[in-house]
Amino acid sequence: MLELTDVRLRADAVEGFDHVFQAGEISVVLGSNNAGKTDLCRLIAGLHTRASGTISVDDCKLGNLAPQHRPVGLVYQAFVNYPNLTVSENIASPMVARRLPAVERDRKVVELASMLQIAEFLDRLPHELSGGQQQRLAIARALAKDAQILLLDEPLANLDFKLRESLENELRDLFGKTSTVVIYTSSDPRDAFALGDQILLLKDGAKIQAGTPIDVYRFPESFAAMELLAEPIINHFESSGDSCALRPEHVLIGNDDVPGNVDFKMLVTANETNGNDSFIHGEVGGRHWVVRCHGMRAIDVGTTIDLFASADDVVCI
Amino acid sequence: MIRSRWVLIAYVIYLVVPLYWLMSMAIRSNADIVGDFALLPNSPTLANFAEIISNPVWYEAFGNSLAYVVINTVISLAVAIPAAYAFSRYRFLGDKQLFFWLLTNRMAPPAVFLLPFFQLYSAIGLFDTPLAVALAHCLFTVPLSVWILEGFFSAVPRELDELAKIDGHSFPYFFFRIFLPINRGAIGVTLFFCFMFSWVELLLARTLSGAASKPIVVVMTRTVSASGMDWGVLAAAGVLTVLPGVLVVWFVRNHLVKGFALGRVS
Repeated sequence: MLELTDVRLRADAVEGFDHVFQAGEISVVLGSNNAGKTDLCRLIAGLHTRASGTISVDDCKLGNLAPQHRPVGLVYQAFVNYPNLTVSENIASPMVARRLPAVERDRKVVELASMLQIAEFLDRLPHELSGGQQQRLAIARALAKDAQILLLDEPLANLDFKLRESLENELRDLFGKTSTVVIYTSSDPRDAFALGDQILLLKDGAKIQAGTPIDVYRFPESFAAMELLAEPIINHFESSGDSCALRPEHVLIGNDDVPGNVDFKMLVTANETNGNDSFIHGEVGGRHWVVRCHGMRAIDVGTTIDLFASADDVVCI
Repeated sequence: MIRSRWVLIAYVIYLVVPLYWLMSMAIRSNADIVGDFALLPNSPTLANFAEIISNPVWYEAFGNSLAYVVINTVISLAVAIPAAYAFSRYRFLGDKQLFFWLLTNRMAPPAVFLLPFFQLYSAIGLFDTPLAVALAHCLFTVPLSVWILEGFFSAVPRELDELAKIDGHSFPYFFFRIFLPINRGAIGVTLFFCFMFSWVELLLARTLSGAASKPIVVVMTRTVSASGMDWGVLAAAGVLTVLPGVLVVWFVRNHLVKGFALGRVS
């Protein structure tokens, strides 16, 4: 169990926040760029950072403990490996530091390398691997430390999306079995749903909400929390003086007179599609809206369409 | 394409001719050298080299030169490596000014420092020792080394330092087992620059060395004897003087261009 108390991710933060990461769970820390995700990781790892706060592992305060003595493994966003050491030496590095016997070291290296599917490259140097393999190596080395806390700072952000998906699935299987505190930072809400047992939402260095992904998705406490889990944006409107919002996937095209539904009219300004989903951009009451619908759809720019949504999906705060 | 190749060939000839002439003179006798012009030596001889190997004036001069060059290179690297690491990794008050000040040392001609060095070394009994010349050369090679190494060191991501910490390695382990091996090319290039500066520098070397520690560059300028100039031996000494540089270049050839750019080419 990793407990954060009075954490301030910015030097000028007015008040700190508390949070508890449980062992055996993957916690996804979700936030846009510069939300403080990396600072949080660095604070936990004991590296130089502008963040401050108290960190306890199993009720034991880490204080000013040097990174060397913290039970923390870390994978960076950039693929960082020792360029002069081979793949097997890289994986063995934390075990060398712990002075494990060579036999055990070699056994663990082979075990980790096959788990992360880099066993055939053990004698190569990191720069002879592809990007995905380099990051697998970094993960293998972080796991080799066998630490209580594993920090993954946007580990897949620099990989192409096919590789991301396959690695993501592997990671879930990999971490699901351990009793480690796994902290995975990301700016992509899909990661939160794919990996997260728990999620922690950060904005501008402050915690805005925490909980299971489904809970946070269904009961956001603020528009900011809703925004972080929405793709691409949320649609704001006002209803009898309250400010409300709808997710793009909850707005449907068409005219439906079912009582309890809310209706809108949108002036279409642009279309985009990724093949799976189409995003219809437009204006409703002077605000930029996006409607997300399944399949490839395009609607002529300049036309006005009817929209409706179930009242249950409307979030008013 | 063809034309540029001819230009290249012409340039190579232009570069090689003096070197060839030096080597060809080194294996000729004096009579041959001052005699009729001939492209190839009439009767090649190794007598000139034999003279250098057997005459203490020559081989001691080589020894003296090597002594202060090696001392200088060792001191320069030992000082510049930690300094360059500090400049590349830490921000401290006046770091940029200090870094620039290092380079300004190179802006003064060596002659400026002649008199102070001479006075100082005479006073403390360093005059006429290899250490005197080595220390004097450090004034120029240390700033240069720091500049070259800082460029290379800064290109190594800082995350690597942190990674070693998180893996549980101590700083000395990281520095000597990971950081320095990664930068061995940079250190090789720096070694080359220190070596070459110290090896060919004449003014300070001549002034700060007396009879006991006369370096090769000085001996070479004083080969006029009663029987005139000893051309052959002088050329042989020249060939031997070029050799160490060639040797060092061979080892760092892959990193040299980056070194000339002070490590700022990626």
